Amino acid sequence: MALLSDVWGIYRQALPVLVVALGGGLFSGVILEGMVESVTTFTGLFVMVPVFLATRGNVYGALGSRIASGLHQGLIDPVFRRDERLLNAVFASFINGIGISVLIGVLTWSVLLVLGWQPAPLSHLVAIMFVAGVLTSLVMIVGLLGLIFLGFNRGYDPDNLVGPIVTTLGDVFGMLFLLLAVTLVEVTAT
Amino acid sequence: MSGTGQRSLGTWNWRRIVRNMFPLLIVLSGIVLWAGITLEQARELLDEYRILAVMVPSMVGMGGNLGAILSSRLSTRFHLGTTELDPRDRVLWANVGAILALALTLFTTLAIGAYGFGLLIGSTVTLGQLLLISVLSGLSLALIAIVCSFLATYLSYRLGVDPDDTTIPIVTNVVDVFGMLIFIGVATLVLEF
Repeated sequence: MALLSDVWGIYRQALPVLVVALGGGLFSGVILEGMVESVTTFTGLFVMVPVFLATRGNVYGALGSRIASGLHQGLIDPVFRRDERLLNAVFASFINGIGISVLIGVLTWSVLLVLGWQPAPLSHLVAIMFVAGVLTSLVMIVGLLGLIFLGFNRGYDPDNLVGPIVTTLGDVFGMLFLLLAVTLVEVTAT
Repeated sequence: MSGTGQRSLGTWNWRRIVRNMFPLLIVLSGIVLWAGITLEQARELLDEYRILAVMVPSMVGMGGNLGAILSSRLSTRFHLGTTELDPRDRVLWANVGAILALALTLFTTLAIGAYGFGLLIGSTVTLGQLLLISVLSGLSLALIAIVCSFLATYLSYRLGVDPDDTTIPIVTNVVDVFGMLIFIGVATLVLEF
């Protein structure tokens, strides 16, 4: 049947990428499982987890597709060097990524206060988001650009690489650095 | 940086990127905050059945991934002018069928993966329960992702906005929220009753 062979074609094309993303998701799930205890110390941590992870996708997905279009148009070269466009795009994603992280801390704290749930101190939530935001941004920028350039130089269409790279790196490193930030704030706060 | 240098950078100027994007980021964070509140509310459930935490990031992310794949396929077809949302269009149905088949495969794998990890941490939740939770939430989520993608692509096309720019972030984040709501709801039903 023609319909079934069409379905099979799309399925086969999309599956490998999604399996890689699922691997990243499971890995970060295992880290989250280890964080369940810390959640009692920091009321609001669970609120921030999905928002923080989603933001990584939004900021670096945008950076990735900008770089992909730039490569396609020949506006930037697939190498790490001082390039005005590349520097601007990277700096913007840095500002966006860290700015929105800090804002998530503030937003979570305010919403919980309104709901009457007694959130952890504002400074703790913001500190966790700031540390996790900075570390994740550094790894995402280097990892994303490195992998896109590598793929592009080997003849892959960067448009197809951005989505899975961002999802997987974002899940794995976002969660890893969130755990690190929580541990850091836990230690310094007590 | 000279004035002319900045102008020639055009859309690559960092101030312009931040100015265009930051408001959208705030709106999207506001939407996903709902998923976070759902998760915080379910703290006791997660404390009791810690294995559920292992599934959370994939539940939040996978629906968005499926939505993103479908949306970008749909917007490409709209761009090429090959679709009018005709229910007799075979390729549209092929896309829907593929998304459902992918969801079935991935959410079955997620349940098995979580069960494997559960054996290590001594979880009492059975494989049957995990499969039921994962596949039931996953397929419902896939249906929502499909409806959202069609709606968002069609509406942005109608409104004259390039679906490539808006559809993916909106579909991804909206579906994230539904993923969390459905997952917590289904898990509560399966484990508590």
